[in-house]
Amino acid sequence: MKDAPTQPPPKRIKKYTHTAGVTTDGGMNVNRIIPPNIKKVIDENIGGDEKRLFAVVCDLTIKANYDDAVLIFTDKRFAVVDESSFTSYSYADVETAKVKRMYGNACIVLTYRDGSRHRILKFTYTVADLCEMAVSFVENIAKGNPMDEEMEIVNATYAKLNLICPKCGRTLIRAGAECIHCQSKSKVISKLLKYVKPELKTLALCITISIITTAIALLPPYMTQTIVDDVLPLQATGAVAEGLSKLGFLVFFLLSAYVVNYSLSAFRGYMLRRTGDRMVLALRNDVYEKAQHLPMKFYDKTSTGSVINRISGDTNTIQAFILKITQECLIQFMLLIGIVVIMLVMNWKLTLLSLIPVPAVAIGARIFSKKIAPFYKKIWRRWASVTSIMTDTIPCVRVVKAFAGEKRAKENFNRYNQEWYNVDVASAKITQIFPNVINFAVVCGSLLIWAVGGRWALLGEVTAGTLVSFISYASMFYGPVNFFANLSDSYQSALASTERIFDILDAESEEVREDGIKPERLEGKIEFRNVNFSFDKTKKTLTDINITINPGDIVGIVGTTGSGKSTLINLLLRFYDHYEGQILVDGIDIKDMDLGTYRSCIGYVQQEPMMFSDTIFNNIAYGVPDASVEAVLHAAEVANAHEFIVRQPDGYDSKLGERGVGLSGGEKQRLSIARAVLKNPSVLVFDEATAAVDSETESLIQEAIERLISGRTTLMIAHRLSTLRKANLILVVDQGRIIEHGSHEELMALGGKYKKLIEIQSMGNNAGLTVPN
Amino acid sequence: MALFIDGPEAKIEKTGDTTVTLRLFRGDVYEGLEPRRLFPLSGLTRYITLLDSDQKEKAIIRNLDGLDEESRRAVVECLNEYYLIPKITAVNQITEKFGILSWHCETDHGRRSFRIRNRHSDIKMLYDGRVLIRDSNDNRYEIEDIKKLDKRSRRLLASEL
Repeated sequence: MKDAPTQPPPKRIKKYTHTAGVTTDGGMNVNRIIPPNIKKVIDENIGGDEKRLFAVVCDLTIKANYDDAVLIFTDKRFAVVDESSFTSYSYADVETAKVKRMYGNACIVLTYRDGSRHRILKFTYTVADLCEMAVSFVENIAKGNPMDEEMEIVNATYAKLNLICPKCGRTLIRAGAECIHCQSKSKVISKLLKYVKPELKTLALCITISIITTAIALLPPYMTQTIVDDVLPLQATGAVAEGLSKLGFLVFFLLSAYVVNYSLSAFRGYMLRRTGDRMVLALRNDVYEKAQHLPMKFYDKTSTGSVINRISGDTNTIQAFILKITQECLIQFMLLIGIVVIMLVMNWKLTLLSLIPVPAVAIGARIFSKKIAPFYKKIWRRWASVTSIMTDTIPCVRVVKAFAGEKRAKENFNRYNQEWYNVDVASAKITQIFPNVINFAVVCGSLLIWAVGGRWALLGEVTAGTLVSFISYASMFYGPVNFFANLSDSYQSALASTERIFDILDAESEEVREDGIKPERLEGKIEFRNVNFSFDKTKKTLTDINITINPGDIVGIVGTTGSGKSTLINLLLRFYDHYEGQILVDGIDIKDMDLGTYRSCIGYVQQEPMMFSDTIFNNIAYGVPDASVEAVLHAAEVANAHEFIVRQPDGYDSKLGERGVGLSGGEKQRLSIARAVLKNPSVLVFDEATAAVDSETESLIQEAIERLISGRTTLMIAHRLSTLRKANLILVVDQGRIIEHGSHEELMALGGKYKKLIEIQSMGNNAGLTVPN
Repeated sequence: MALFIDGPEAKIEKTGDTTVTLRLFRGDVYEGLEPRRLFPLSGLTRYITLLDSDQKEKAIIRNLDGLDEESRRAVVECLNEYYLIPKITAVNQITEKFGILSWHCETDHGRRSFRIRNRHSDIKMLYDGRVLIRDSNDNRYEIEDIKKLDKRSRRLLASEL
C-alpha cells in the first residue's frame, strides 16, 4: 500500500504551521495551499485519470510534531501524503472511519471490513472539523452513497469554512467578507468619527474661540517688552507723566484682553464639556445596546465584569481622547507656531538658543511612549481581574459565608489587588521620572537664555525687554512641546480603550434578519433534523438529534446531568446558532424567522428564575410591557402567585431586592411562570422548573404549570415521575444523543435507561426522599 | 468508591496506541482501558484514571512513580499519545490586533503559530512561572518556566502577561 516517492523531496523551507481559510487548488477545495514539496509527491502518485475531489492540509506528523501532511480524496481512493510518503486507501475496504478526539490533538481511525483498526493520521483541533467531514465522506462512500451527493456536503462544509476569518477565527458576516477585527488601526480611529460628526459644528466653534484666546495669550510677554524697553526708561529721561499714561493704557489693554480671554475660555469649556458628554452618551448607549444583542456564545467566553468595565471606563477614556485630539492638538500646534514666529521676529539668535533642548525632549517622549505602552495594557488587565473578582464573588457572598470562606476570599482578592499594585507602581516610576527629566531639560534651556542672553543684554546686543519677554515665551513654548510629547501616551491608552469598545461594538451579534419571517401565531410543531452541536471543538454536546414534536404535545426530557438536555432547549430558544442541521417550527427553519417574533412565541421558565430589581408588577409584565393590569393579575392567579403577592404590604408595587422584599425560590418561580403565562406563548419550555422547591410549593407550581400547558406544545426538563406521567412523549438524552423516546408506558416496557432512572427514583420516594437528579 | 492503585498490586501492559490492559494481582483483568489525567493541568503524573470503552472508570493510579518500570512506561506512552501540550521553548514574535494575539513560537514539537482570542481566559499564569495557553482552536500549549526562557522571549511575553 505504501508507495515511496521516486526521488528525495526538495529541502523544505521551515515555516510556521497555520490555520487558514479556504482556497482552491486546481478546482479542488483545500483548507490552505498544499505545500509544493507535498504537491510534488501527489502529482507523482495521482495520475490524470483520477479526479481529485478535495484535500485537507493537516498539521501534525504521526509522532505529533508540527509538520504538513495532506489528506487527499479522489474519485477512486484517498491518501495520506507527506513530503516523503504516499499511503493510499481504498473506500471499499473501510467499514467505519472515525475521528478520535484526544487532548490538543486528534486522529483518524479506520476500521476495515476485516476488523483491523488503522490509525492513519494525526492533526490538531485546528483541522478537526474538516477531518470530521472527511471521515463521514469516507464512510458514506464506503456504504455506497452516490459521490455527487456526498460532494455537495463537502462543498457546503468548505463554503461554511470560508465564513470564518482565517486570521482570528470569528464568523464573518458573509462568505469572503473582510473581517472587521483584522482591519488596521487607522480604521479603528475612523470608526470613532461616527461619534464626532454630529458635534462638528460645536467643535468648529470651539476651535475658532481657541484661536482667539491663543492669540490673546501670546500678547502679555510682548507687552512686557514694551513696558521694559519703552515705558520704564522714561523715568531716566524725566517724562514720568508720559510714562504713566502709557503704562495706564497698557495695563488697561492687558486687562481687557484678559477679560475677553477668560470669558471666552469659560464659554468654550462649557461647550466642550457638553459636546464631550454627548459623545460619551452616544457611545455608551451603543455599547450597552450592543451588549444586549450579543449572542450567549460571547458571554460564555467573556466575563460580565469586563463588559461592564468597558461600558463605564473605556468610554470615558475615549471621550477625553477625542476632545484632546480635536481641540488641544490644534491649539497647542498654533501656540507653538505663534511663539516661534514671534520669537524669530524678535531675535533669531536667541530663538535658536532656546530651541536647543527640543530634540532631547522629543526623543525622550518617544522612548517614554515605547516603555509605557505595555504598562497601560498590563494595568488595565490587572484592574479587570480585580473587578471581575469582585463581580464574581460579591453576588456569591452567601456561599462564601456559609463555607467560612471570608478569609480565603479576602486573600484571593488581596493577591489580585497586589498584582495590580505592583504593575501600577512599576509604571509609576516611568510616568513620574520622565516628566521631571523633561522639566529639567526645559529649565536648563531657560538657564541658557539667561546666561547667553543676559550677556548679550549687558553687551547691548539685545534690549532688556527682549530678554524678559523671551524668557516668558520660551517657558510658554515648552507647554506645547510637553503636550505633544505626552500625546502618544494618551493616544496609546485611548487606542487600547477603543479596541476594547469596538471588540463589543463589532462583535458578531445574534443574527438579526431584516427579512425574517414573522408568523402571526405558531402552531407549535417542532422538528429537529440532524442537529449536531458543540460549544467548542473538544467535545460534541449534541449528536444526531432527530425528533418531531407535534402541536399540543407534552414532552418530558430526561437524562443525567450534563447529558445535553438544557443545550437542546438552548438551541430551540436560539441562544446558540452555530449548530449543524436544522430546527424547524411549523415547518419554518427557526433561523429564517424574525428573532424577536420567534422568541415572543416561546414561554421559558428557568430552573433559577432571574428577577430584576423592579416591582413585582413590572417583573411579571417584563415580556409584555404594555399588558393591562388585569392581564397581569390573571397571569399571577394562573401561576398561583397572586395569593402571596397580596400578602406583601406593597402588593404588586413591591420592589424586589429592596428591604424586606426577599422572595423564596418557589415564589420567584411562580412569578416567572406568571411571566410566561402573560406572554400567551405557543411553545412552553420548562427547564427543571420544580427542581429547587419543596413538595408543597411544587404542587402549587405543578398546578400552575398544568393550567398553563393546556393546548400548547410543552417541553419540560424534569426528573419527577409525577411530572413525567403527564407527558405523552418522553425523550431520554444521554451523552448528547436521544437514546430512547416514547410514552412512559412504552419506555417502561422497553426496560432501558428510562426504566432504570424511574426505578432509582421510586426507591428514593419509597424511602421518603426525592432524588434531584 | 474508586479502586486506587498504588503500585505493587497491579501490572499494566500497553495494548493499543492509547489503551492498556490492567491486571490486578488479586486476579481481575481489565482490557482496553484508556489512561487519562484527572488533573491535566496541575498533576501530570498523579491521579491517572483508567477508563473503559464506555468511559467508565475502572481504577485510579495514585502516582505513576509508584508503578513498576514497565507498567509506568506503558501508561506514560499512552498519555503522551493522548495529550498534546507542546512546550514553548522560545517566543519569536507576538502581534496583536483587536485583542486577538498571534504568537509565533518554537515548541518542542516544532515551529508553530497560533492565535489567542481572549487573553484573560486563554492565558493562565501559575505562580511557579508556568504558563498555560489555549489557542483559538482549543489546542493547548505550555511554558514550563517563564524564567528559563531566553531574554528576548521574556521581553515579548512581559507585555502580554
